[in-house]
Amino acid sequence: MYLILLSIFIPILMGLYLLVRKEYASRGRLLATTCAGLVLTGALAVASFTAAYGSSFTLFYLTKSLPIAFAVDEMSVLFSCLTVIVLLCAGLFSFEYMKHETKEKRYYGFYLIVFGVLNALCFAGNLVTFYLFFEMLTLTSMPLVLHNGSHEAIMASLKYLFFSMCGAYMALFGVFVVSHNSAVLTFSTGGILHAAAGSPSAGLLLAAAFAMLVGFGVKAGMFPLHAWLPTAHPVAPAPASAVLSAVIVKAGILAVVRTVYYIFGADFLRGTWVQTAWLILTLITVFMGSMLAYREPVLKKRLAYSTVSQLSYILFGLAVMGAEAVTGSLLHVLAHGLIKTALFLCAGAIIFTTGRTRVDELRGIGKEMPFTMWCYTIVSLGLIGIPPTGGFVSKWHLAIGSLQSAIPVFRWLGPVILLVSALLTAGYLLPLTIQGFLPGADYDYEHLKKREPSPLMTIPIAVLTILSVLIGLFPAQLTDWLTRLAARIL
Amino acid sequence: MILLVILIPFIAAALSVWLPFRNRKSWEIFLESAVTLNSILVWYLLLHHSGNTFLLAHFTGNLSVSFRVDGPGMVFSGLVSALWPLATLYAFEYMTKEEHEKIFFLFYTMTYGVTLGIALAANLLTMYFFYELLTLVTVPLVMHTLTREAILASRKYLYYSLGGAAFAFIGLIMIIVYGRSTDFVLGGVLDLAKIGDRTNVLRFIYVLAFMGFGVKAAVCPFNSWLPQAGVAPTPVTALLHAVAVVKSGAFAIIRLTYYSFGTDFLRGTWAQTFVMLVTMFTIVYGCSRAVKETHLKRRLAYSTISNLSYILFGATLMTPLGMTAALLHLVFHAVMKIASFFCAGAIIHQTDRYYVHELDGMGYKMPCVFGVFTVSALALMGVPGLAGFISKWNLASAALESGSTVACFGIVCLLISALLTAIYMLTVVVRAFFPGRDFDYGTLSGVKDPNWMMLVPLFIFAFFIVLFGLYSQPLADFLYAVAIGL
Repeated sequence: MYLILLSIFIPILMGLYLLVRKEYASRGRLLATTCAGLVLTGALAVASFTAAYGSSFTLFYLTKSLPIAFAVDEMSVLFSCLTVIVLLCAGLFSFEYMKHETKEKRYYGFYLIVFGVLNALCFAGNLVTFYLFFEMLTLTSMPLVLHNGSHEAIMASLKYLFFSMCGAYMALFGVFVVSHNSAVLTFSTGGILHAAAGSPSAGLLLAAAFAMLVGFGVKAGMFPLHAWLPTAHPVAPAPASAVLSAVIVKAGILAVVRTVYYIFGADFLRGTWVQTAWLILTLITVFMGSMLAYREPVLKKRLAYSTVSQLSYILFGLAVMGAEAVTGSLLHVLAHGLIKTALFLCAGAIIFTTGRTRVDELRGIGKEMPFTMWCYTIVSLGLIGIPPTGGFVSKWHLAIGSLQSAIPVFRWLGPVILLVSALLTAGYLLPLTIQGFLPGADYDYEHLKKREPSPLMTIPIAVLTILSVLIGLFPAQLTDWLTRLAARIL
Repeated sequence: MILLVILIPFIAAALSVWLPFRNRKSWEIFLESAVTLNSILVWYLLLHHSGNTFLLAHFTGNLSVSFRVDGPGMVFSGLVSALWPLATLYAFEYMTKEEHEKIFFLFYTMTYGVTLGIALAANLLTMYFFYELLTLVTVPLVMHTLTREAILASRKYLYYSLGGAAFAFIGLIMIIVYGRSTDFVLGGVLDLAKIGDRTNVLRFIYVLAFMGFGVKAAVCPFNSWLPQAGVAPTPVTALLHAVAVVKSGAFAIIRLTYYSFGTDFLRGTWAQTFVMLVTMFTIVYGCSRAVKETHLKRRLAYSTISNLSYILFGATLMTPLGMTAALLHLVFHAVMKIASFFCAGAIIHQTDRYYVHELDGMGYKMPCVFGVFTVSALALMGVPGLAGFISKWNLASAALESGSTVACFGIVCLLISALLTAIYMLTVVVRAFFPGRDFDYGTLSGVKDPNWMMLVPLFIFAFFIVLFGLYSQPLADFLYAVAIGL
């Protein structure tokens, strides 16, 4: 119990302390404090899902019907693992990257707070607690988006804020309806609304489910409220973009998982109009995200569009509501999280060393920064879904799961769109590799100089790359675990 | 005792003008202690009330002026008496920059008594009397600066309020004619035998009276006086135009609906649907205007319009839960809105800046004021853990519980309004704390937080916003007890 609370409140308090105290005398002290905070939080998070696994407790009651409760289950473990890995890697990367930005103290302050809030989301035990921290996540991650203070960044952060708020309030409508139909809002596998199925309020509940899917889907960049994501993610400093694109959006995924499988229950939604509408939205998003990424010239923006598309792979799998597909989705949560962090950190390393942001400016980059570009290429292959990297395994399960299901039309349309999108993914990720390593005969090799970034940047990228390859090479145990998990929540 | 708490503010106000005070300090101390003493008396009265009716004057038949402490009266008078000493403290500091302080405080303190009169009135006639009086004593406050704009605003305020009271008067007459008495009785006093087949006429009269009292509660289309009246000094806008005056309107509507006409007579009829739609429209309309408005105090005034209709929406659900939610939002909104208005006032007092776009970067110069403003903004948006969420949650569950389709759409209106609230409040916060990298802090040199007389009320309000957000069950239970007949 204390571990969970500590893993949430220590980073939040440390972040607040960083925000209100005056500037540090030296940069080193700031980094030391932040580093200590990150490592401590990471350790506490890991400790809480190992030591407190399976436990649950109520902290206090806002009102009689609104308990603030925390619990640790398998889903918490999965998302918490991802959070810890990504936040630590991106945090390490920041130490070098943020040299060329100002107001570092504010950045690290909010970074730590976001870490705490993400932990809270992973360990939230009921819908109200989840909603509370979901709103807090929006509010505390917004300063990361507007960090550089340009007009563009501030406008992007407002767009992020208002889209997220819009989504949160749509979801809140659903929360109201659910709470009216159920005495408790605790997450439990298989849902809590068995009694309401078939009752007169079922129609309203379905509308509520749809509102929650679209509302929470805003964070996960689902069409039609995806437009904030490609605006907001690229303007943040690269490590913050990585965190936004890899874990903060996953909070949207976690919200959807909790809503569908822990509140409504798959049986409640299977075969209803909600499932059909949801499938349509995810497939539109998958295709559209890839198309937009394909024609986007700025690297970070391209990656952000790619996030839009990839997240809807996950949502598609969840919408199919079959064991195989959900396994694929959960695997893709992990794979996409690692890969997208690595990609954004590579983009950050490139910006940091060369100052170039557009893909067409990056001819010959592979000759200048071979290590970074090798990592970029390997994880790109993973995102496209070429074996033996992580993305392949998850997409395989997604496609198989979709084909196994009994949903008319979508069972084959889904895999087709996923494949088309994979092709597009290759189309938007690999040109950088090709141009980077094969700049062409007229490339000026004379002035070529090696400028690999410092180890603070390359180590996190390498770690993420290795991890993403490892899940691809040895997926058996992980897949087994996730299959069991999927079977239990269905 | 009841009469005493209503009269003390009048006496204190009169003395504050006539007594020869040696200096400003002793005058301040006199007024502040009189107001505080009165508040203590009010709370003593509330905690030890006997439920008896105090008859002051008997005219004829069932017309009398009498007072009584009952549930809603306790809530409203308790709220007002808790806020008044703090607002007075704040006003001392604020008014140092304005003229004619003594006249200002004369009317300001008298308003306290009048508002308590409304809260503690035992029948419709008494309430109506104090309701009219409230208009008259607050007009000079709106007019205070004596600029052309202020005079126009106060004239508009006067016409709107008096016009509204005239419609309310029709309701009063109907209650006298068709009611068993004019006393406030939960469940209403209408005598169905007397009404016969004229039920729809009476429902029409209810709608008229609703709109009449609704003028003070700024329901659409009678809301335009409120933003204009923002020309008054901030203590007036904050306390009167966010709490005392406008909530008197909402309070009167609760009295009218639950204690005079009775919910059984109205529930499920076209009259309920009509007033509910009016409040829903006002909720969205107020917020949209607030988003468009760039003058900070006027923006907050539009936000008040929208939030008052939250209260009225709860009231028009005509169920005990609806009334609980309405009273809960009545209390919470008072605290949240007075906090944000006081912040706006502190900004005006310290820097003479009125418009949202002038607030860039001020968050670092006035951290306390903008900290409290942020808390109140988040609370108004309904972020969980703060007061606004609890009242919105109660409103929404009451709406769902009532089971009507219109009420379900009401929830959608609430949520749209919450989004718009996020837009108009957070743009201010973001501007203040994140002005952008090209911002020149030199333009803000010399800007700093105000002194303790302004900060103490702000911190107290912020504390209560958080407290109510985290722990409000006893209050909610008490209000529910009120709604089922305390």
